[in-house]
Amino acid sequence: MTFLDAFSRLPEAINELVSEFSSAPVVGDLNAGLTQYSFWLLVSALLLAIIVFAFVRKQALVPKGVFVNGVEYLVEYVENDVAKGVVGTDWRRHFPFLATIFFFILINNFVGLVPGMKPGTGAIGCTAALALVTFIYFVYFGCKKHGVIGYIKSLAPAGVMFPMNVFVWVIEVFSLLLRPITLAIRLFCNMFAGHIVMGSFSIMAALFAQPLLEHVSAMNALGALPSVAWLAILLIIYAVELIVAFVQAYVFTVLAAVYIQIAEAEGH
Amino acid sequence: MGVIGYGLGVIGAGLAIGLAAFGATSAMARQPEIQGRAFTVFILASAFTEALGLIGFVVTLIS
Repeated sequence: MTFLDAFSRLPEAINELVSEFSSAPVVGDLNAGLTQYSFWLLVSALLLAIIVFAFVRKQALVPKGVFVNGVEYLVEYVENDVAKGVVGTDWRRHFPFLATIFFFILINNFVGLVPGMKPGTGAIGCTAALALVTFIYFVYFGCKKHGVIGYIKSLAPAGVMFPMNVFVWVIEVFSLLLRPITLAIRLFCNMFAGHIVMGSFSIMAALFAQPLLEHVSAMNALGALPSVAWLAILLIIYAVELIVAFVQAYVFTVLAAVYIQIAEAEGH
Repeated sequence: MGVIGYGLGVIGAGLAIGLAAFGATSAMARQPEIQGRAFTVFILASAFTEALGLIGFVVTLIS
């Protein structure tokens, strides 16, 4: 086997990788049971509970140590940047919801980055559930603030003439219904695509290095050279994914905050 | 074929992220004190456009 075989085996290996990413039941079946994603979802939820309870237990007037300070920094980041910065004066009421969403997505994304584990947010069902909860939450608070009829009316901006009014309202309703869909698809696609890209580069690195591992010769050593490059790219993409894991949690939370702010705003 | 389509589709997302970065850097250069807010808006905007590119990527793989 020479290194040229690696090219011919690449599409097959990548197809295998992609099929590995679709939900498969671990316990029970697809209707009632655990897929590999929901298993890691439970693991990360448990991990989050442990972290938060440990944090509450260790909390003191003067925070000490990396752990307490780190969690406190993240909580204050959500509080100042998302809740106070986007929601505005009503931030105290919405802060628990926003912080819950942020930490849940964050822990899921980071658990998925550990090799061998899967991100709970890498399945469309999980992100759709999160987006649906967000949708119900901001529609509920919009209705609470303006009344049901008032909220439906407030979708169209005030101060627009009568016939245009209806037209703008239809567009606003359409964009309102599109919000949970885009929220779900953005998070899912980011996690899914990131893991597929990391997986393909590690497969490429393995395929090119395989001949050298089986039989040491000058030709095979030359063929294995690209796998060094693939490995370097893999490390860079892993670093990017570390940033993406944080940014996606942040983006989801900020968008939820923006939608809450829009739903509660006067005259829109 | 799907890969070529994805390559064509990602041109738009690439242009959009480039434009967002251009706007953010020129805004920061003109008004350095707005750096924090401009960066937040830039991250949001690039997340919006990046999602479009990623939808193309995932659809290519699934179809």
